[in-house]
Amino acid sequence: MGPIKIDPARAFEEALTTQRKLAVALQTLRDVDDVHFGVTDKEEVYREDKLVVYRFKGERPPSAKVPILIVYALVNRPYVVDLQDDRSLVKNLLARGEDVYLIDWGYPDRADRWLTLDDYINGYISRSVDAVAKRIGVKKINLLGICQGGALSLCFAAMHPDKVKNLITMVTPVDFHTPDNMLSNWTRDMDVDLFVDTLGNVPADLMNQCYLMLKPVRLNQQKYIGLVDILDDKVELENFLRMEKWIFDSPDQAGEAFRQFIKDFYQGNKLVKGGLKIGAHDVHLGNITMPVLNVFAEQDHLVPPSASRVLGEHIGTDDYTQIAFRGGHIGIYVSSRAQREVPSAIHDWLAKRAL
Amino acid sequence: MGESPNPDWMNQWQALARQYTNAWQDASRGAAGAQPSAAAPMEGFEQWSRLFSSGAGGQGETIERLIDSTKRYATYMQSLLAVATANAQGSNVPWGNAFAQGFAGSGGGTPLFEHPAARAWREMAGQGGNGFASFMGALRAPPNADLGELKAWLNLPAFGSARQHQEHYQKMAVVTVEYQEQMSRYNALMLKASQRGFELFEGKLAEREQPGRQIESLRALYDLWVDAAEEGYAEVALSAEFREVYGALVNAQMRVRAQVQQGVEHIGSELGMPTRSELDSIGERLQALRREVRERGKGAGDGLADEVARLREEFAAIKAGAKGTPQGAGGATKAKTETEPQRKVGSAKKHAPRTRAVPTAAPAPKKVQAPKKVQAPKKVQAPKKVQARQP
Repeated sequence: MGPIKIDPARAFEEALTTQRKLAVALQTLRDVDDVHFGVTDKEEVYREDKLVVYRFKGERPPSAKVPILIVYALVNRPYVVDLQDDRSLVKNLLARGEDVYLIDWGYPDRADRWLTLDDYINGYISRSVDAVAKRIGVKKINLLGICQGGALSLCFAAMHPDKVKNLITMVTPVDFHTPDNMLSNWTRDMDVDLFVDTLGNVPADLMNQCYLMLKPVRLNQQKYIGLVDILDDKVELENFLRMEKWIFDSPDQAGEAFRQFIKDFYQGNKLVKGGLKIGAHDVHLGNITMPVLNVFAEQDHLVPPSASRVLGEHIGTDDYTQIAFRGGHIGIYVSSRAQREVPSAIHDWLAKRAL
Repeated sequence: MGESPNPDWMNQWQALARQYTNAWQDASRGAAGAQPSAAAPMEGFEQWSRLFSSGAGGQGETIERLIDSTKRYATYMQSLLAVATANAQGSNVPWGNAFAQGFAGSGGGTPLFEHPAARAWREMAGQGGNGFASFMGALRAPPNADLGELKAWLNLPAFGSARQHQEHYQKMAVVTVEYQEQMSRYNALMLKASQRGFELFEGKLAEREQPGRQIESLRALYDLWVDAAEEGYAEVALSAEFREVYGALVNAQMRVRAQVQQGVEHIGSELGMPTRSELDSIGERLQALRREVRERGKGAGDGLADEVARLREEFAAIKAGAKGTPQGAGGATKAKTETEPQRKVGSAKKHAPRTRAVPTAAPAPKKVQAPKKVQAPKKVQAPKKVQARQP
């Protein structure tokens, strides 16, 4: 008995079904509206250069006294946390009474090529934190750093522990030299000085190609063959297209910040090895003394769990909690399981530390 | 095995493909201007390409990827259908042959397996610089060229008045050849990844021989292959060898880009155009200036805050003292103390510390002469762009 038992009649039907779906798709795709993001009403509370800090408006006033400021990665757009009505981390946090703010970095252009990590962390993030704190009338706020934004938040919290009441990190790389970190392996022998000196800002398309190459067959081919299955379902198709649009809606990366991030984090692994300096500040994770919640994804192909789960070993607080989420790097914001589990986990953890 | 299909299934397949193709054409002839053509199984997908390239709006790129993938998948299905039919009629065609055929794209189809990572690199060469991809294609070294010998010739010293130009073009050719060398090494690793993927695929198939675990659909077989291909790729992509080859490839490509930019810059300079180096230099200075201004402003701001804090303490002390002083003692003058820094810039005004107090029976407080010191509006130069907005 061989491993393949494909009935020709069934296979033939399978092929015809694919044909039929493609035929129907011509109409479905024409009926699909242009996809939009950001379902939750929000107001602008702070603006500087291309950065805007938004406050999200819930259906009722927040019960939490200390706001959460979401610091998203520089490499993608932050609206994935509020993608659509039934896939919104923001909406679910608001529903639980949290007061949620978000930094939108905008799209850096050549004018931003010389922005350094110091400009981003001790500049933009610091002033955003101040603006939110001042607005509420508190001295410290809660910081929620996601992915690269988590690494930036760790640096900020280590340099300015007096401004952070609670720190939450999601899918955040901490140890960049774990053996299963593909991106890290690829960047280790890159001459990043030559790279940035040549490119200036790092083009978004180039970054996207790099991410697609992490799982080249799955992300470049299988995903689209799977798309055939839902070509006759307008709602599912719109969900797919919305996610697709987000994936490829990436900002260019400011050259100097990129240079330092690759050198110090990916190549030097200084966040855990030590020796990291941001502007005039030395960054020691041991200075992170506030409570920390670390949420990572068990099937994360961008930030392997091993890169995240070591955080507790390096920070200075005794109040450390980590949650392993069953899902991937993007599923942690948009999957139906994430909607049920992640906002509740964050809210419950914060509520215990509200006093 | 289930019921055999009509032996003439290929004709059926083509007829159906023609039927769908015609339907697509009928539906879109007016809008997309599609031309009727002889339908073949692949023709439907080609029609797709043409229809959506002009009318997919914001979904154009997604449609392109969909079409590319489905074309490859159709090739794969066609190969496997042929084997399934032949075997159902008593032949014993190995499934591996079908895969090999499907992956190679024989019979005019699109190959299923051209490693996407290798393809991505070709596309990446064109990212971030218009025309760079075609430039790279034009400079491709001839096949079977002795690249070492070619580089030796290109490294010959230049002479004469055009020496600098010649050196530039020689260097351009050298870095291009080096890029091709690195690309070859990278492609060799992609081939290795593919081979490893097939080995793993065979292993996965072997695990499915028991009844109940067998592969019964084209999609299931494809998905199993994808799992194996990704595992094979990951083994290679996480290796130290890949790290070295990938780094060398990126660096080689950047050297080509840098050399091209140098040439463009030279031409721009000759024509009196502003060059990228000049703009970068201005940008760098501007950013440094912004930091300096912000630092100065921050220093002034901190000093002011400290001073206000000191004044508040002093005032609190006076106020406390006044409460303990008998009515009328020290004079009944109503001391109106107002400490209101006259900030006018941006957010500073909104958040300026306002200390307004009217002690009713305090002596004229000599110490509370802060307003002059606090009135340092020039120092409070909160950058104009930093505007905290109130809700």
